[in-house]
Amino acid sequence: MPTKNTPTLNASFRDPSGFLFRRDGVLYRQVNQIYAEDYTLLMDSGLYAKLVKAGLLIPHTESGDGQAFLPADTTMAFRTLRPERVAFISYPYEWSFGQLKDAALATLSIQKRALKLGMSLKDASAYNIQFHNGKPILIDTLSFEAYKEGEPWVAYRQFCQHFLVPLALMAYRDIRLSQLLRVYIDGVPLDLASALLPMRTHWNLGLATHIHLHASAQKRYSDVSVSEARGGRRMSKEALLGLIESLQATVRKMVWKPAGTEWADYYAANNYTDAAFEHKKVLVGEWLSKIEAKTVWDLGANSGIFSRVAVETGAYVVSSDIDPAAVEVNYRLVKEQKEQNLLPLVLDLTNPSPAIGWNNLERDSFLQRGPVDATLALALVHHLAISNNVPLSRVAEFFSNCGEWLIVEFIPKSDSQVQKLLRSRADIFKDYTQAGFEKAFGQWYTIKESSAVRDSERWLYLMHRK
Amino acid sequence: MIQLYLDPGSGSFLIQLLIAAVAGMSIAIGANWSKIKRLLGKKKKETETSDEDADEKHPDA
Repeated sequence: MPTKNTPTLNASFRDPSGFLFRRDGVLYRQVNQIYAEDYTLLMDSGLYAKLVKAGLLIPHTESGDGQAFLPADTTMAFRTLRPERVAFISYPYEWSFGQLKDAALATLSIQKRALKLGMSLKDASAYNIQFHNGKPILIDTLSFEAYKEGEPWVAYRQFCQHFLVPLALMAYRDIRLSQLLRVYIDGVPLDLASALLPMRTHWNLGLATHIHLHASAQKRYSDVSVSEARGGRRMSKEALLGLIESLQATVRKMVWKPAGTEWADYYAANNYTDAAFEHKKVLVGEWLSKIEAKTVWDLGANSGIFSRVAVETGAYVVSSDIDPAAVEVNYRLVKEQKEQNLLPLVLDLTNPSPAIGWNNLERDSFLQRGPVDATLALALVHHLAISNNVPLSRVAEFFSNCGEWLIVEFIPKSDSQVQKLLRSRADIFKDYTQAGFEKAFGQWYTIKESSAVRDSERWLYLMHRK
Repeated sequence: MIQLYLDPGSGSFLIQLLIAAVAGMSIAIGANWSKIKRLLGKKKKETETSDEDADEKHPDA
């Protein structure tokens, strides 16, 4: 196994088939001898080529400049691969409903193609799927094993826990239940899901079997070994394909839309144009081009209008918002317009994704996945300062942890948006003035540019971290 | 012996076999529906679907 001195990635330890490591800033994947046969089958069966062509598996190379890459641990190495780089690693609890659904369908599509070429997925973890060039893709090249006739799907339970259960909870109970994935790193337990789902899900054949019946079977056979439970029974390949198709149908049928609204309303609300809005777009575009930002976090992005301005200037943009519906709209736009450099994510900035898992190191916190060249904080500060009582200097400190450059908007108390927030509470924010804002942010940043936004009382700033 | 690094779960294996059995059975019943009815003593009506029609049905439908 990788030793104390092997620079293995902290998320890469469960599967003995190999591991990820970083050398000179480049990410490599070592394939261990124990996995030699399966890796050879993946490459020789044509499955690798087929999946890469379909955009379902991350491409890799085995050598550079005519030389094979050096492994991290020579005693057990079979091959060393250099996978194509994914711009930003995101986690299922940061995905909108549509993103998780597409990730689930990608996994099932991969499994179907694998079975046709004599292989099968030996895991179906949502963490193995990432959004690459706007689409879900499998990043774990070592997830395949030779298919053995008669065997059921080893990763069936994991698929249900990582994908089917959270999707069902989001669609049939409450969209916010996606956050259970943050608590349960190996997916939401079936018995918990079965208890939380409404009665009517018992009448949905797919959910009744794959979640409710599955949960009961798990409970009933918890003390029985796998071979005892099977009693020598086999599952034909046709039956296994039927199971995958049943999961596909169940996932496809699940839909979510926010109560009392239509998606069209969301699109319309995000398409308003007035002089102030257009001026903001121009300023953001100009400033981002000037600083040549290659990576941008658009915080509180709504459905991503300014994120798209940033993409236009040549940046890769993570476009986050707390509202799952806004993120869903953003993701639908990414799909419709085949955008490759924009990743919408659900993120609560008052409690951003923490580092979780084994040793608190398995999944990085949101800030650990930075820093970026520039952070966008448009129409955001008043929410953090007034709705969440964060002092302005601490808001500035948080942004300074995100990256070097900041484009931030100040909206005065007289603005109707701020008045709306103050309507329901006492105004205890005496420092919330433009002078107070500049003083607080001045502790962390040097103001490089500032401009009043046309036809409004708002101000936009370009700041550089001290 | 297959090397499993993931615990597939006894219940999870069993439920797959159950789904496979039920699905297999319903296909078998569908294909032999007329025979089953004949076996149960029901007389075949003229308007009833024949075996040939049942075979034409796509398994996905």
